[in-house]
Amino acid sequence: MNMIASMPLSQSELHSDPGAAVSVRNLTRSFGGPAILDQITFSIAPGEFVALLGRSGSGKSTLLRTLAGLDPAPPETLTVPAARAVVFQEPRLLPWKRVWKNVALGLRMPDAKAKALDALAEVELQHRVEAWPLTLSGGEAQRAALARALVREPKLLLLDEPFASLDALTRMRMQALVASLWQAHKPAVLLVTHDVDEALLLADRVLVLIEGKIGIDTQIPLDRPRHASDPGFSTLRTKLLASLGVQG
Amino acid sequence: MSGFALQRSASGLPAVTTAKAKGRGSWNQRLRRAYVPLGILAIWQAGYALGWIPSQSVPPPSAIALAAWQLAITGQLADNILVSLERVAIGLGIGVAAGTVMALIAGLSRLGEDSIDPTLQMLRTLPHLALIPLMIMWFGIGETPKLTLIALGSLFPIYLNLFAGIRGADRKLREAANTLGLSPLETIINVVLPAALPNFLTGLRQAFGIAWITLVVAEQINASAGIGYLVMNARDFLRTDIIFVGLSIYAILGLLTDQSVRLLETTLLAWRPSFLKDATR
Repeated sequence: MNMIASMPLSQSELHSDPGAAVSVRNLTRSFGGPAILDQITFSIAPGEFVALLGRSGSGKSTLLRTLAGLDPAPPETLTVPAARAVVFQEPRLLPWKRVWKNVALGLRMPDAKAKALDALAEVELQHRVEAWPLTLSGGEAQRAALARALVREPKLLLLDEPFASLDALTRMRMQALVASLWQAHKPAVLLVTHDVDEALLLADRVLVLIEGKIGIDTQIPLDRPRHASDPGFSTLRTKLLASLGVQG
Repeated sequence: MSGFALQRSASGLPAVTTAKAKGRGSWNQRLRRAYVPLGILAIWQAGYALGWIPSQSVPPPSAIALAAWQLAITGQLADNILVSLERVAIGLGIGVAAGTVMALIAGLSRLGEDSIDPTLQMLRTLPHLALIPLMIMWFGIGETPKLTLIALGSLFPIYLNLFAGIRGADRKLREAANTLGLSPLETIINVVLPAALPNFLTGLRQAFGIAWITLVVAEQINASAGIGYLVMNARDFLRTDIIFVGLSIYAILGLLTDQSVRLLETTLLAWRPSFLKDATR
């Protein structure tokens, strides 16, 4: 019994990089049809910002949900930190709890309120802590969701297209905010997006999911802070867009 | 979008928002809303004075007011109102409690749903007032059949609304709660039940309405006290004025309970967009 139980564990340890924040080994997911994720293997280093690109339906959200623990996966295929937090495309704040209570929700510590207020100040929402979530603008609500994730001091921050439903100007401000928060706290980040520019602006490394496999895994060797007019940006952009089937 | 969930839960009670919005007019507007009812009373009274309306079938407002006053000073009015209120309170209390417990069991577990829901859905189609003959045979003509009927009538709106509310709680919010490390019980307390609260209050309003209707019918079966008794007694003595007093009291009590649930809604659901809009207007 003991032998059998320990078998897959020791096997997985062989493949996993012990220093990685996240490691995924031969993860396969399918919903009855062809595999959405087909034998995926990759790892994320502590503090590394990884963007995951892919067309819609390519399985990028499935991968994120699996890492978040929302979809089941065999334990031997996955090593993720216990301290992880998710920001979804929608803020998903509980409308019947004031903003700070949403941020403090599930925090099991005596000074949870102070922590929540600090996190809200960090996303520049200190003036809205007592507001009802439904009175927030889209950008404010998403910043509250970001504060709710950060207050948990995650080792892994999962961002599921968090800027997709924001207007263009708000999106740019949010991207800058996420970049600075990441630099201040240095969690490992997996950002799921379909926006190549966003990936190039924020990430250390870009993965592209193509037909259930990681088709491209490339470092982004650009200096920060980045700008779309930087040299090298457009070359990478063209290459990534081509991998997504768009002639740039 | 979270907005989706909110709109859905907010759409449960459109009547509340409109009524509240109207209620927030200036004094002039409020007065304007009283013109028509006051006008009807005036025409009614004038019709009596001019001999157009036979006072034996339709007594004038002045006679109804006088009858109410006479019943009030002898203490009969308050005594009978209290008896009726007590019946509604006990019957509704039992019905709401039972409906809530059943909705929680059926809403929170599939096993509970399979055990409870089919039976309740079948019983729901049976008009509960049709049970009166059985009730009388089983429980006699005392308080028990009246309370049982009120409890039965108010159980279903609570059960149906709360069950739907629990099942309708946004899956996305439950998922978010899961990623925040909430236990299943904490998720029920923080996410599922607050999400179902608007439905519960809708159910409560409907339950109050049904409770009053049931009371009216139940009190006409051999009651020895209560508003229904007052009315039935008045019929025997051809006192149409007292019958009108009884009708007015039913109407006033129904209105007051409805208002009290609305008050409950504005306090408990202060986070909802409709109430927020009113607050900032």
